[in-house]
Amino acid sequence: MAKVQGFPGYAFATVPHPVASLDAEQLRDAARGVLPEVLTILGVQQ
Amino acid sequence: VTGSAVAEDGLVIDPDELHRAQDYYHERGWTDGLPVVPVTESYLAEFLARTGRDPDEVVLAMPQLNKECTVRLAALNAALAGCRPEYFPVVLAAWDSLVTENYAPRGIWQSTTGTAPLLIVNGPVRHAIGLNSQGNVFGSGFRANAAIGRSIRLTAINVFGLRPHQLDQATQGTLGKYSACIAENEEDSPWPALHTDHGLAASDSAVTAMVIRSCIHIEARHAQEPEQLALDIADTLARTGALVHETTSGCAVLGPEHARLFARAGWSKSDVQQALYDRALVSRAKLTAVGKDALSRKSRWRLSSDHPDAMPDEAPAVQGDPDAVRALNSPAAVVVLVAGAGNAGVSTILETLGPRGGPPAVTRVEQAGG
Repeated sequence: MAKVQGFPGYAFATVPHPVASLDAEQLRDAARGVLPEVLTILGVQQ
Repeated sequence: VTGSAVAEDGLVIDPDELHRAQDYYHERGWTDGLPVVPVTESYLAEFLARTGRDPDEVVLAMPQLNKECTVRLAALNAALAGCRPEYFPVVLAAWDSLVTENYAPRGIWQSTTGTAPLLIVNGPVRHAIGLNSQGNVFGSGFRANAAIGRSIRLTAINVFGLRPHQLDQATQGTLGKYSACIAENEEDSPWPALHTDHGLAASDSAVTAMVIRSCIHIEARHAQEPEQLALDIADTLARTGALVHETTSGCAVLGPEHARLFARAGWSKSDVQQALYDRALVSRAKLTAVGKDALSRKSRWRLSSDHPDAMPDEAPAVQGDPDAVRALNSPAAVVVLVAGAGNAGVSTILETLGPRGGPPAVTRVEQAGG
């Protein structure tokens, strides 16, 4: 999708499936798990 | 065998050239996996001559992909798919219908839902180009059906880049993704044709596009009572596995035998739609048992009341029964038409993603100069 929008280098983080069937705590765990990657993309941390 | 082969009618064929051409198309990813028809500028021109529309006119745009399909690209992929030039006005009407229906421009072909675009053709063009509406409908054996349906898939692949595992994210596809084009068996229907229900004349030809997922047969060969047959068909419409959202929608493709059973009882097509709406019910107990008794706050998809995103399903009681929930939001949520042979009591439910109460996307076929 980034390539077709003319931005092939667009950085993104992914969260593994499944998502829709997670309960609230599992969702929080998934968010915590991906947070370092998000902070790196945003330049907050190396 | 090497070198050219000469057929009985004098046609000269070079099998090696044919094989090289197929490898060329396959290596570039310009196919759905099956062989395609090589296209030259002169062959493309034969298709473009069948419409008065500008070759550069956009027939469908997907802004999310930065891509547009023009009349020329639609013609090119119709030719690749095996269409004859005279099929092209039907292909263009199909694209207009897909735009009117508005699921494809919004990205349904990229979705995990794995749908196929079904095309339903009505009117005199069915006979003019040899579209099958009778025995083995949905099946193979007819060039016009196969190639017109396939032209949409090849365009999705070649113009919009919707290849599986890439921009086509279907979790599971459906068999109709190769090709899904049928015609209505107007001659064996006791009712007016689908396109005449939506403002066109019987002498017009038309294409109706519909997003489909599943194709489920209804076996009722010994049916005699219209109420029983309606309940049998409605039971499939209301199956819990089809309920993504609060309600679902479908297309009842009645075999001529079933259509005549309803008609003999004095039922119009609207009566059949009403009967299916009335009987397409699912119990709250069953929804609870399968974990679909509540709705998502954000998407209104069905989920369990135990889910963190759940809100109650407040559908009103049906005919005083608080345990019954309607699977359809209106009689118009099930489109009714007739197709197939009159040799057995068999019909089909096509599970669709709409319309849920709105009119189907019926588009008149425009011939060049007329």
